[in-house]
Amino acid sequence: MQGSAAVVGVGESEYYVRGRSPDSEFQLACTAIERAVADAGLRTSDIDGVVSYMDSRNDPMRLARALGLGDLRYTAQPFGGGGNNAAAAIQLADAAVSAGYAKHVVVFRALAQGQFGRFGQARAGGAGQVPGAFAWSAVYGLLSPAQECALHTARFLHDHGLDQEALCDVALACYANAQRNPRALRHGQPLTRETYHASRWIVEPFHLYDCCPENDGAAAVVITSGERARDLARRPVGILAAAQGKGPPFGSAAFQPDSFPGVFYKSVARDLWERAGVAPGDVDVAQFYENFTGPVLMAIAELGFCEPGELGDFVADGALEGPDARFPFNTSGGNLGEAYIHGFELMNEAVRQVRGESTCQVEGAELSLVVAGPGYAPGSAVVFAP
Amino acid sequence: MSRVLGDDWLLPVLDEGNREFFTSGRIVLQACASCGVVAHPPDEVCGGCRGRAFEPRESAGRGRVESVVVVHHPVHPALAGAVPYAIVLVSLDDVPGVHLVGNVRGTAPDEVEIGQAVRAVFSKAALPDGERLRVPEWEIVAAV
Ligand SMILES: [Zn+2]
Repeated sequence: MQGSAAVVGVGESEYYVRGRSPDSEFQLACTAIERAVADAGLRTSDIDGVVSYMDSRNDPMRLARALGLGDLRYTAQPFGGGGNNAAAAIQLADAAVSAGYAKHVVVFRALAQGQFGRFGQARAGGAGQVPGAFAWSAVYGLLSPAQECALHTARFLHDHGLDQEALCDVALACYANAQRNPRALRHGQPLTRETYHASRWIVEPFHLYDCCPENDGAAAVVITSGERARDLARRPVGILAAAQGKGPPFGSAAFQPDSFPGVFYKSVARDLWERAGVAPGDVDVAQFYENFTGPVLMAIAELGFCEPGELGDFVADGALEGPDARFPFNTSGGNLGEAYIHGFELMNEAVRQVRGESTCQVEGAELSLVVAGPGYAPGSAVVFAP
Repeated sequence: MSRVLGDDWLLPVLDEGNREFFTSGRIVLQACASCGVVAHPPDEVCGGCRGRAFEPRESAGRGRVESVVVVHHPVHPALAGAVPYAIVLVSLDDVPGVHLVGNVRGTAPDEVEIGQAVRAVFSKAALPDGERLRVPEWEIVAAV
């Protein structure tokens, strides 16, 4: 039954700038999982389910052997994309626990871009020939997620009369909130509007500071049934609703007129708000995956927080910054300010907000939203509640 | 003409779905032989009628810039000499429902704008096996 499972533990490794981790990606994954399990007051032998997304390197069998996971009986990953599936992974764990297929499921993401390289780089391959669907874009130098998200963003800004300041406001909020978070890699490195505008272009309309850095680290949560959660160490944080949405497959299909420009969150929004029985205005605090700033704007509109044309005002004048923000947003610093752990660090932050443990705590926060990865399909999102 | 990104940049592996597009010197897309729906990029089953037989659909190669970004950071080292370059999405006047990814020849990247009219031009290239290509690119033909 939807809404019956809860997050009972969160944990993460230290976060590192790309290539600075003394640990391998697998070791980082083990650290995050051990810490989440300990936070829940459980033992690793209690864990019988493992879920991740876009992970082909940290196999649950290998984790079970290393961590002494007990009677492993459930593993899953959603199809498609990347960070967009972080909330879909939470949904898979919710489903497993709610259906009784597993008792204590770990959901995690580990990423060592120093060890394994960055996504865009890997996709570019060598010079020569490129096969399949990727040929339609790679032949024209369309290679990276930044460029793909920029194509959507450029048209969206144009259609709705938005300017560069709206992108800047998103970046400034992430950096400002990171200054409160000692875990954040940008802690002690505040960003100003002037520095933002003076930074080099990566791909117009994205400056350097519109793009998330490459990092090494891992984050994990433990999910169990609401019933079992009551007996554990920490105050459970319920999964009020999660949703995945439809969208085009990866590649130039994502730029076709039926869904351009956009971030494929319209059906996610419809299902999420209906399942949760709440409206956008009820949300107390929100974490939006920002591999790049532009998709955040599109997602805010697609989720129903405001009309596209209102976005400039919605994000202006520090509206996203700090615990008393008009729209409390990416309170740990997000991908841009805390660390890019493929967006899973946002889950830990969203749970901490409901627990009252954030370094940028929104007073009395109850409804805590994570929008997992606007820009690629399927989009997914989750609402946590006490 | 050389390609916008240079003669050494990536070329496609030709397959049934893209051979005409990259070799004919015309803008040729794949239409369903049963219902006529044009899918881009092409796939093996028609989303309109589930048909599995396809036929070419030729466009006159006139269209409009739907979006444009200017790449400054060369994601691949082989593009270090090509930046800054513009990536455009182009809609076609005579084949609705399709956006093509492309490059713009003959106009500075920062002068390419959404709404400009474009026409297809074709750059010669050859695959390692000697097969000749005509890679579609775009020229701006009018102001917004
Ligand atoms: Zn058909």
